[in-house]
Amino acid sequence: MNEMLSIKNLRAGIEGKEIIKGFNLEVKAGEVHAIMGPNGSGKSTLSNVLAGREDYIVSGGEVLFNRKNLLELSPEDRAREGLFLAFQYPVEIPGVSNINFLKTAINEIRAYKGLAPMEAKDFLKLVKEKQALVELQGSLANRSVNEGFSGGEKKRNEIFQMAMLEPTLAILDETDSGLDIDALRIVANGVNKLRSANRSFVVITHYQRLLDYIVPDFVHVLYDGKIVKSGTKELALELEEKGYDWIKKELVEA
Amino acid sequence: MAEQKDILEEHIFSEYKYGFTSDIDTETAPPGLNEDIVRFISAKKNEPEWMLEYRLKAFRHWKTMEEPRHWPHLKYPEINFQNIIYYAAPKQKATLNSLDEVDPELLATFEKLGISLEEQKRLTGVQSNIAIDAVIDSVSVKTTFKEVLAEKGIIFCSFSEAVQEHPELVKKYMGSVVPYTDNFYSALNSAVFSDGSFCYIPKGVRCPMELSTYFRINTSGTGQFERTLIIADEHAYVSYLEGCTAPMRDENQLHAAVVEIVSHKNAEVKYSTVQNWYPGDKNGKGGVYNFVTKRGICLEENSKISWTQVETGSAITWKYPSVILKGDNSVGEFYSVAVTNNFQQADTGTKMTHIGKNTRSTIISKGISAGQSNNSYRGLVRINKGAKNARNFSQCDSLLMGSKCGAHTFPYIEIKDKSAVVEHEATTSKIGEDQIFYCNQRGIDTEKAIGLIVNGYCKEVFNQLPMEFAVEAQKLLAVSLEGSVG
Amino acid sequence: MTTVEKISASEKLVSDFEAVKKTLPENSFVQNIRQKAIEAFAKLGIPARKNEEYKYSNVQKLFQEDFTQSAIYNPQFTIDKYLIPNLDAHIIVLVNDFYSEELSSLENLDKTVVVSSLKKAFEKYPELVEKHFSKHADISSDAFIALNTAYAADGIFIKVPDNTVVEKPIHIINVISAKENTLFSPRNLFVIGKNAQLQIVETFASIDLTVNVISNSVTEIVVGENARVQYYRVQNENENSQHINTVSASQEKNSHFDTNTVTLSGGWVRNNLNIALNGENCETHLNGLFLANATNYVDNHTLVDHRMPHCESNQTYKGILDGKATGVFNGKIFVQRDAQKTNAYQSSKNILLSDDATINAKPQLEIYADDVKCSHGSSTGKIDEDALFYLQARGLGIESAKKLLLHAFVNDVMQTIRIEALREHLENLIHKKLD
Repeated sequence: MNEMLSIKNLRAGIEGKEIIKGFNLEVKAGEVHAIMGPNGSGKSTLSNVLAGREDYIVSGGEVLFNRKNLLELSPEDRAREGLFLAFQYPVEIPGVSNINFLKTAINEIRAYKGLAPMEAKDFLKLVKEKQALVELQGSLANRSVNEGFSGGEKKRNEIFQMAMLEPTLAILDETDSGLDIDALRIVANGVNKLRSANRSFVVITHYQRLLDYIVPDFVHVLYDGKIVKSGTKELALELEEKGYDWIKKELVEA
Repeated sequence: MAEQKDILEEHIFSEYKYGFTSDIDTETAPPGLNEDIVRFISAKKNEPEWMLEYRLKAFRHWKTMEEPRHWPHLKYPEINFQNIIYYAAPKQKATLNSLDEVDPELLATFEKLGISLEEQKRLTGVQSNIAIDAVIDSVSVKTTFKEVLAEKGIIFCSFSEAVQEHPELVKKYMGSVVPYTDNFYSALNSAVFSDGSFCYIPKGVRCPMELSTYFRINTSGTGQFERTLIIADEHAYVSYLEGCTAPMRDENQLHAAVVEIVSHKNAEVKYSTVQNWYPGDKNGKGGVYNFVTKRGICLEENSKISWTQVETGSAITWKYPSVILKGDNSVGEFYSVAVTNNFQQADTGTKMTHIGKNTRSTIISKGISAGQSNNSYRGLVRINKGAKNARNFSQCDSLLMGSKCGAHTFPYIEIKDKSAVVEHEATTSKIGEDQIFYCNQRGIDTEKAIGLIVNGYCKEVFNQLPMEFAVEAQKLLAVSLEGSVG
Repeated sequence: MTTVEKISASEKLVSDFEAVKKTLPENSFVQNIRQKAIEAFAKLGIPARKNEEYKYSNVQKLFQEDFTQSAIYNPQFTIDKYLIPNLDAHIIVLVNDFYSEELSSLENLDKTVVVSSLKKAFEKYPELVEKHFSKHADISSDAFIALNTAYAADGIFIKVPDNTVVEKPIHIINVISAKENTLFSPRNLFVIGKNAQLQIVETFASIDLTVNVISNSVTEIVVGENARVQYYRVQNENENSQHINTVSASQEKNSHFDTNTVTLSGGWVRNNLNIALNGENCETHLNGLFLANATNYVDNHTLVDHRMPHCESNQTYKGILDGKATGVFNGKIFVQRDAQKTNAYQSSKNILLSDDATINAKPQLEIYADDVKCSHGSSTGKIDEDALFYLQARGLGIESAKKLLLHAFVNDVMQTIRIEALREHLENLIHKKLD
């Protein structure tokens, strides 16, 4: 089968506290999975662990990404292998232009794959093309990475970077948080245009609202570090209606 | 973080790229300093009496002075001024008419430095060109583009030549900005300077190319004491570049230069330095002691002087390029990146003295400390009484890389006029782990990420440099910081 | 010229010590320290301006005249006029450095709190005093600490036991008077125990002063674990007074220490405030305000020494200078290698009202740890002309508009004063001063 991401019984935490407690997920190429959960259920920990953030310690389980052991790879090699994380809080890097940043990233990824650096002409063409995707102003590309960007601009910039780097697996970490409906629509449109048969998405969100725009193939409910319920997009609607307490109650009763 | 450190530690301190010695025939004075040596230097250069008198006065004054050791944030062993060779000149034919007559070894040296004089020569007349005066062990060996510049009335030659050919200009301006009484090292320089560059831009002339001096210390045990004098007459403009390298040596070499700039009415001088003297090895052995006095005066109204420096070399840097804002509406600027790694120490900054009305100054200083180094910003902003509506803005940022280095800020602000507006801001921080992780997640490894972030941090200063220099400065920065902790 | 004076004034102080020490409290422990201190002073001498710490302070000039060291003169006065209106406080009075029990009133003070003259404390609480005396103000670091330590005849000793909350502020009133040129050397020691709380207000007054006096004081404050201490110092004296004050505080872990140094008048004032953060998770706030005119000289030197991780320090100093006054702010934040996760901030803002006034600011950072957030800012300017014009356009006269803006300028420092009666008192004084 065309398995892209396979997470088996993952256990992880930070500062000695276990937060992910036996997490399982299978994502095939082209699929969109939504992971929903209340605050503190482990959503951010999951994305940080998958991206390889140093502070998070994996205490058990395995993660295969395109049949490679993801957990053995450095954060940059995970990125070079095609894993992209759209950050919940994109960091500002003063003085480093978006363009320069992306050029460096693309050429590092190309070097990893044994490809020559991209021609400047081709690169600029690509920038133009992808900027349109998220309706990002041309001037933003010349500004420093995320510096002085509004919340919406930051999130759009994340999707723009994703379009530029063409990952095989994109994890969107609460990309919808803090966005007004217009910005949300732009971000979602960008993502939808990037959907393809060989690209998968894991959309982590607190609200069902995003899933009206990015329609998932599967919806999972994360609670206390593991998936407690899975279904299709209808599950998200049910959650929206009944709230997370409904899941908690079900769990207690079960 | 542990893993990042490992990655970085793999990159053990990269070799100092410019650490070759050139096998050039040199003629040297015996070590030590007394009046005879001063006379010897003056005689070697066939100097007129007035020049010798100036040197002797400076020498006598120097003997009464104390080394400035109490206030800089620097620690180094006693310097024995009697162990230093005060004069070393590459042996050369009496006069050089073309580059073909220059010692081929010397030319090869410059090739290694990345400046091919040959190539420069061929590209005559192009706007982006750079005219170069090369100073090796204190003696100016070749000035390029002289003829082209002469057409516009620009004088660009070695200091010795200026003493012979333009004594009236030298007499008028030398010591007018940095008198020999100014400080210990300016007095020493005034007594023993051997050569340097001289530049005069006549009224109304915009210098069509960048003027540049490359300095190199070559002979072991020598001190380098060059002297630069730049005069921009009314409505003139010049951009001047200075580059420095020295071979790797176990012992400490002394460099004590004096640079004077005079900017007349409506004139502008831009002075850029990329200083890459040998910093010593990774255990702190060897390296150049860089004690430099640089000062410019905005003599009349609407004049401007701008200093930009990228300081990555030297074991010890003691340097405060300054501007005296005498003319009304004059402008002084100081842009600095100072990097210290391993055991380097830098105490550097600027002095802006506001005398005229409506004078403005800007100070942007970016310090980066790594290894076990100490990096200090020391700056004075002085608003004299009567300097109406003077303005200063200072921004001094420090970046720490690793937990064994130090970053210090010592600003002095002295204000004697109520109409002044002076603002000073300073921050100290380290490179954010989240910034590095963000780069990692986009496929950029830690070493490259640090390079990106550091260059971004220094951007305001690099933007001030001419294009060729900016590229060189960025590379230099990356080399200087290789092997430092993230 | 100056070198000759320096040697003579310093040497005289050293040689005078032999005679004066016989009049000082006897105790081998103290004697020993005094001896070391005078030796340290002999080595340091009265600092010249070439000394970076005294670059802007011409202290040698202060010592050009001869001074006697022991004031036997006892002035007659009533304490009432030196009280702060509406301030409900325990009162401690020192007259010419000596603790006056009859003028003080400590009736309602918790009996476990010790208030005594330092002289008596050497005898009654030797263990405690010896543990702290001269341990926080380092004689080798500064000539005037050394000089005070050698010469100090008396001062006040306060000890707040662990877990004791002193509800009302303690107001210390220092009264000096002299018939001949006198060098005073008051010495205080405050030890605040674990989880204890204390507010101190210190004020200064001089009576019929026609001669030159120099007061060279040293106060050591020990802020115990998790203790909360506020220390307010109000200097509002006549133009003949010359002060060199050193406050050296040491904080233990989880403690909070807030200081306010308000200088409204005084001929020549140098305040040294040194704070050592010796435990984790300490917090310290240093606020200062100075208004100077005529030929006043007001110099605030601060040193915050971050020695341990996770501490926070915050400094805000504001100065308004008129006439031919000179103001100095010299602040140093020192972050030692172990003091990771330090947050330190320093701000110095000044307004010059006259063309003959001078401000010298030197905000310094000396940092040896990398995971820190440190910043400082300094700004000097005139009154905001746009704001002035705006107020005028709303019908305010230029003088009242200026006054309003100056009040606004000092307001954030005033708001850090948490004793209401004191704040009101100071606001009144400032109001008068700005007239």
